[in-house]
Amino acid sequence: MLEIARYEGRHRVRGAAAATAALSAFALLYIFVYPTFAESMGGDIDQLLEAYPEALSKAFGVQSLATMEGYLASELYTFGWLLIVGIYFAYAAASLIAADVERDRMDMLLSLPVSRARVVVEQFVSLAVPLVALSAVVPVVVVLGTIAVDYPIAATDVVALHLLSIPYLTTCAGIGLVASVLFDRASIAQRSAAGVIAGLFFAESLLTDTDFEAVGAVSPTRYVDPNAVLRESEYALGDAVVLVFATLALVGLAVVLFRRSDIE
Amino acid sequence: MAALEVEGLTKDYGEVLANDDVTFAVEEGEVFGYLGPNGAGKTTTIRTLMGFQSPTSGGATVLGHDITDESDLIAAKRRIGYLPAHPSFDETVTGREILDLHASIKGGERRDELLETFDPPLDRKVREYSTGNVQKLGLVQAFMHDPDLVVMDEPTSGLDPLMQRAFNEFVEVERDRGLTVFLSSHVLSEVRRVCDRVGILRSGRLVTTERIEDLLHRTGKFVRVRVAGDVGPSAFDLDGVHDVSCSTTDGGAPDGGTSEGGAADREATTSEPADGGVADREPTDGGAADAPLVDGPVTECTFTFTGNVNDLIARLGERTVVDLDVEEAPLEEVFMRFYGDHDA
Repeated sequence: MLEIARYEGRHRVRGAAAATAALSAFALLYIFVYPTFAESMGGDIDQLLEAYPEALSKAFGVQSLATMEGYLASELYTFGWLLIVGIYFAYAAASLIAADVERDRMDMLLSLPVSRARVVVEQFVSLAVPLVALSAVVPVVVVLGTIAVDYPIAATDVVALHLLSIPYLTTCAGIGLVASVLFDRASIAQRSAAGVIAGLFFAESLLTDTDFEAVGAVSPTRYVDPNAVLRESEYALGDAVVLVFATLALVGLAVVLFRRSDIE
Repeated sequence: MAALEVEGLTKDYGEVLANDDVTFAVEEGEVFGYLGPNGAGKTTTIRTLMGFQSPTSGGATVLGHDITDESDLIAAKRRIGYLPAHPSFDETVTGREILDLHASIKGGERRDELLETFDPPLDRKVREYSTGNVQKLGLVQAFMHDPDLVVMDEPTSGLDPLMQRAFNEFVEVERDRGLTVFLSSHVLSEVRRVCDRVGILRSGRLVTTERIEDLLHRTGKFVRVRVAGDVGPSAFDLDGVHDVSCSTTDGGAPDGGTSEGGAADREATTSEPADGGVADREPTDGGAADAPLVDGPVTECTFTFTGNVNDLIARLGERTVVDLDVEEAPLEEVFMRFYGDHDA
């Protein structure tokens, strides 16, 4: 078991290292900018916030920039993590099946004594490589970075946020996986999946406090809140469970669709 | 038990009926050639047998396992080797990594031995492989787990003539070991050498299945004959002669040549069982090299002959034969006849 996952996972190591390095650099950039930003604004920092267009601050979950926690929750985690990394996982998952089908490699894989369900699940599992790399390295970088600039934040909150965002990212990947079995061209699957994640992200943030708030319930971003975790140390475990089930449902859907399809 | 049994297999893609009620069986230990021009539906049958797509109707068993039942088919796949028409591997890895993956899932006890016959550059990335090397890698993975049945779609495409010969010899040895082979081809000369039986597919329908010898026998000989004199196609108007075409040239004789008439240098190699004492033909005396030289016009005729060879010999005996070639009809001709006959 897991031969395919191991094989695919090995070939994701380089990409995962690159993504981790990029995200770590991105985090450090944000963290090192903060002291200058905070000191130049003095106590009036949240006045700047009032000058933000409301839609923009809602979209990126900007609640307060007066503390390092609020700053990172919005600038780094809501924008960088939930949106960018979310799209990265959806995009990566979208090519899992579609690229092999598109390049006629799926015939070779399915000629092996493996079930289609196993192919889908193991390909999905191979995404654990970038997921674990990002989730293990970036929190350490963030915690050490904030200590280095003398605005330390609670390590447990950072770790908790990363743990809670794992089911969020697997859900994004699940959306990509479904796209990957729906389309037999990788580029279309990737664009669709990335579009869906971006759409759901903005739908949720922009619909909050409107009559259409309920619509945002289908967005994975509804179920992970960096501000609550970092600023209030509130860990919404129930929401994480929702995302775990969403992931399982999406993978299950991808398996059902793939089992029924003709490989062309 | 048949190694492969196809029953009423139909695959309708909507705009094309790629397989239309295809039925045949491949016995254990047999090399079966699945023939047809490009687009006839050979790959459709093969990919359906491998479970990559489901039949619109009908079904099949491979090694006794139902192809429409995934878990049953997986059990069969442990003992099946597969080579697609255009084997496609992950280009970013080396051939060795590909084989390692395959070995980890289906086993690879024959891998080293196969790499002596087919030797792709294992430590290079597949991206750098030539078509022939990709094909070799495909062949190694198809046979490395010592399967009981190997299914190959156009296996010799992409191999140079030397490798084609190696492949043919390899298949013959494997057949002697008891392997069952199902291979498709539109290159008939390769099939003739390795196959015991063939099925011919045309526009999704199976036209015939028969032993390759029977097919060749039934489809006859290709005859090219040069006779003295200006004769028309009617000179060969006897049962079993098809598609006569004749052309006459003036005096095939170099100067000084004289014709003794009668004797002809026969190169005919036909050895049909003679069913009568017809043969008024004594072995030609003299060296094989001295072809009779004739004055005047010489007519060269070509035709396909499916009748009794003795009748042909008797008819030829009425004339002065300058030269005669009799050979098995090339399978391309055989093919054309099938299509010609059935298209009418």
